[in-house]
Amino acid sequence: MFKAIIYKEWIKIRLVVYASLVLGLLALINIFLNVRHDILFVDAANYWYAFLFRGVIYFGILKFLPFIMGGGIAIAQYFPETVSKRIKLTFHLPYRENTLLIRMHAFGAGMLAAIYAVIILLFIGGSAIFFPSGIIIDSLLTLAPWFLGGLATYFLVALILMEPMWLYRAFYAIVSAGFVTLFYKIDSIGGYKHLLAFLALLTLLLSCVVLFSGYRFRKGEM
Amino acid sequence: MYAIECKNLTHYYGSKLIYQNLSFNVEEGKILGLLGKNGTGKSTTINILNGFLQPTQGECLIYGENTQNISPATKRRIGFLIEGHIQYSFMNIHQIEKFYSGFYPNWNNKPYWELLSKLKVTPTQKLSTMSCGQRSQVALGLILAQDPDLLILDDFSMGLDPGYRRLFIDYLREYAKAENKTIFTTSHIIQDMERLIDDVLIMDYGKILAQQPIDTFMNRFKQFNIKLTYPDQEILADRIAVNIEKVKDKIEFYTYATEEEVKGFLNSQGIVYESFEEKKMSLEDAFIGLTRKY
Repeated sequence: MFKAIIYKEWIKIRLVVYASLVLGLLALINIFLNVRHDILFVDAANYWYAFLFRGVIYFGILKFLPFIMGGGIAIAQYFPETVSKRIKLTFHLPYRENTLLIRMHAFGAGMLAAIYAVIILLFIGGSAIFFPSGIIIDSLLTLAPWFLGGLATYFLVALILMEPMWLYRAFYAIVSAGFVTLFYKIDSIGGYKHLLAFLALLTLLLSCVVLFSGYRFRKGEM
Repeated sequence: MYAIECKNLTHYYGSKLIYQNLSFNVEEGKILGLLGKNGTGKSTTINILNGFLQPTQGECLIYGENTQNISPATKRRIGFLIEGHIQYSFMNIHQIEKFYSGFYPNWNNKPYWELLSKLKVTPTQKLSTMSCGQRSQVALGLILAQDPDLLILDDFSMGLDPGYRRLFIDYLREYAKAENKTIFTTSHIIQDMERLIDDVLIMDYGKILAQQPIDTFMNRFKQFNIKLTYPDQEILADRIAVNIEKVKDKIEFYTYATEEEVKGFLNSQGIVYESFEEKKMSLEDAFIGLTRKY
């Protein structure tokens, strides 16, 4: 039965998964072509200096990509369930409703995390060609809140889409905008270093909120 | 043995009462049609039965389990058709069959492909590109392949042309009777119900007007057409008159009483008439006679 759930979820999100991977790959190609060009014409020492002491981020193009991917996968996965209240079909399957929703959600979040992992690994591999490990670690600390923000976006968009009442949806959207902004506010290198554990905990807590919308739907809030 | 038992259901939307203390049962192996005008609570009842709505008071049981908390094992015994034949339209006919087959151990895809072979669709055609009639056959085929003991069908005739409606009903009735299945169904097109159901449950605003086998209902409930000699004469409603519709000198008199009882009643009120005849009713006529034209 779990295989069947994954089968349906994959049909819904596969195009967005492919598009996200292509987008991520293009962004990485763009980043490392620029880095190569700048190092050739400026020289590596100055380039590293600009990063370490002037806070010039060479991978700024990646900032909102996780956010777009998170929102995209949530929409691809949950919007078809809400059209004509198709979620009724899903809740009617011979499965505990919460277990079903958790598995759907885990699959979506897992696919998103896998896309992020591919992008981060390629980023580390590309960076290793041009930069010492200290710069790579600082870069990863800068990227981390953006990717956590992408996961939080996935969880919150799912909550909004699964909510049966428009008034609540609007309320959730406003609160969610505030939450997600938290992940993208500081622009300096490693600026979130001391907040990462808090943001990770916040993202973890948000992972379950979709169950509340599912519960409200099942109790007949329409 | 009952497949469905609903006891003392009361439901409000905000302060609006939909019905109060509604109770009914559906026997195993029977096809029950729920009829009612818009807003009488048909969809509310379907939603309560499927666990998508918590009644304000009372409860419904399906195979002895409260519908608010049905176990996966019991859900496996229930086939559910959503109003408008809603299905996962982002899938094609192969994908959707493969998806559902993973949930039901007794899955039998023969009736599914048999029904779909009558349609002019390709195996990779997405449901979203099909007509409503074609989608209805997909939805029905999936339910038949699931092989449930109880089928809950919410307004199965919605959006279907007469050919598809007839195909749907004939296939469904033959299947239900051959396999001893229980069906709980609603439909806006009452003439369809006549071909399908064993028992009828007619709801009005807040109450049940009739619940009985359809043959008994159609034999007992009668329409008499009366032409008055003096059009100004008014007939006072009495307990034997369920509904009286008067247009000038013509009266439609709906009742559970016999012809003699009605004539005796008219005589007792001094009503003089030129003609008096019983009219053979269809289920739709009887429904309108019972619930009034509005």
